[in-house]
Amino acid sequence: MASIYEKYGGFASINRAVLAFYEKVLDSDVIGDRFENVRMDRLIDHQTKFLASLLGGPASSSPEHLRQVHHPLRLTEEEFAEMAMLLRETLEEHGFAEPDVATVIDIVEGHRRNILPPAGAAE
Amino acid sequence: MSVDAIRDRLLANVGVGVAVVRTETLEVVFDNPAFGEWFPAPEGAEGATLAHRLPELDIEAMRASVADWVPYHAEVGVKRKRRRLNIDITVWAAAAEEGRLLVIEAANVTRIRELEAMIDSYAKMVERNTREIEREKDRAERLLLNIMPRDAYDEFKTYGVVTPQHYPEVSVVFLDFVGFTKFAADNDPTVTLGELNDIFTAFDRITEQFGCERIKTIGDAYLAVSGMPASNPDHARCIARCATRYLKYIERRNMSHQHQWRARVGLATGAAVGSVVGLQRYVYDVFGPAVNMASRLQTLAEPMQILAHGSMREDLVQEFMLKPAGTREIRGYGPEVLIEIAGATL
Repeated sequence: MASIYEKYGGFASINRAVLAFYEKVLDSDVIGDRFENVRMDRLIDHQTKFLASLLGGPASSSPEHLRQVHHPLRLTEEEFAEMAMLLRETLEEHGFAEPDVATVIDIVEGHRRNILPPAGAAE
Repeated sequence: MSVDAIRDRLLANVGVGVAVVRTETLEVVFDNPAFGEWFPAPEGAEGATLAHRLPELDIEAMRASVADWVPYHAEVGVKRKRRRLNIDITVWAAAAEEGRLLVIEAANVTRIRELEAMIDSYAKMVERNTREIEREKDRAERLLLNIMPRDAYDEFKTYGVVTPQHYPEVSVVFLDFVGFTKFAADNDPTVTLGELNDIFTAFDRITEQFGCERIKTIGDAYLAVSGMPASNPDHARCIARCATRYLKYIERRNMSHQHQWRARVGLATGAAVGSVVGLQRYVYDVFGPAVNMASRLQTLAEPMQILAHGSMREDLVQEFMLKPAGTREIRGYGPEVLIEIAGATL
């Protein structure tokens, strides 16, 4: 079965969504500051891999990796929701059909525990 | 609207930053809104020079370049609400009535750098995947080479099929262990498998050493051929070398291992057909009178004896000690003259 990534034309089409998402994240007053001091090429690299892995492209992240990267950041529910919302917006604006958007958001939701700090470990 | 007004408006609204600076003092004589936005004068600094407004610019290098009338290029960063813009600067010298001036052009190349970063990221991702696919292919190839000879594999890879090949002159060795069924019944299957794996791996090395091909193992039986897929005029000698080495290996191994293995070996020469059998589960196999004969002779052999068909005598006599083994009735063939290979003379 073709992945969402292939269905929408592979990297040739996805790259626009990557840049749009990158802009939205930086412009967001909720999560933008998290990325303020990240070097541009690193952030683009991150967003490219992020979308490619979510859509079934040539990248993947293990849950273990996600936890290691995200838990120390102690992200909040609000930040997580904002990221999911911006992703939804991006995909919708780039012509992704609703079922595919829902699939992607489901994947993100599935990683909630790998991204948000474990309950009870609050500072 | 006059041409002058159009020119002024164009200069004010164009997306490129433009400024004119006195060469000696670096005083900014003119700048358009884009330039002013990217490189504002620091607060409270009246009459800020270019050096104040563009602190990242290497003034010395710039002066040296434009002194020779060579445009100077540099890329600087500008912080704009969480973002760092990449601004490409070009400076060139111009002579005016009131002295020498520098014209500064600033182009926003942020998007180009972002796209470059994305292409970079994607290229690395794809390259990594390609390497993984290559590794996977290698693994698959190694697996397939375990079950078919390289020539057959090459044909399979190119055409997707392996056509049955007839080989008029090949030699076959068939080896089977004595009392294997009892050993298997008395021991844990992993022990049995470990022993077989150990011995057959050694056999495989011997087989390869003499340019022969291991075709398959069937339980405790080992089948190898010489003269196919690549023809070999020495096929009889090569297969006999394998057979004597197999037995020598078993003898040596028995000295240091608890279980004393003994094998029967049959050799025969003749025609055979080789091909891949099956569609989903590929098995390269050989069929033909030489294979059947070797298999029958193996069952007639005493433990640790190599029985060969009499027709192989001429090919083997120079290199091996041969003993007559009488005329025996072979199922499906009738009475046949047999010889025993008692060892190598060389």
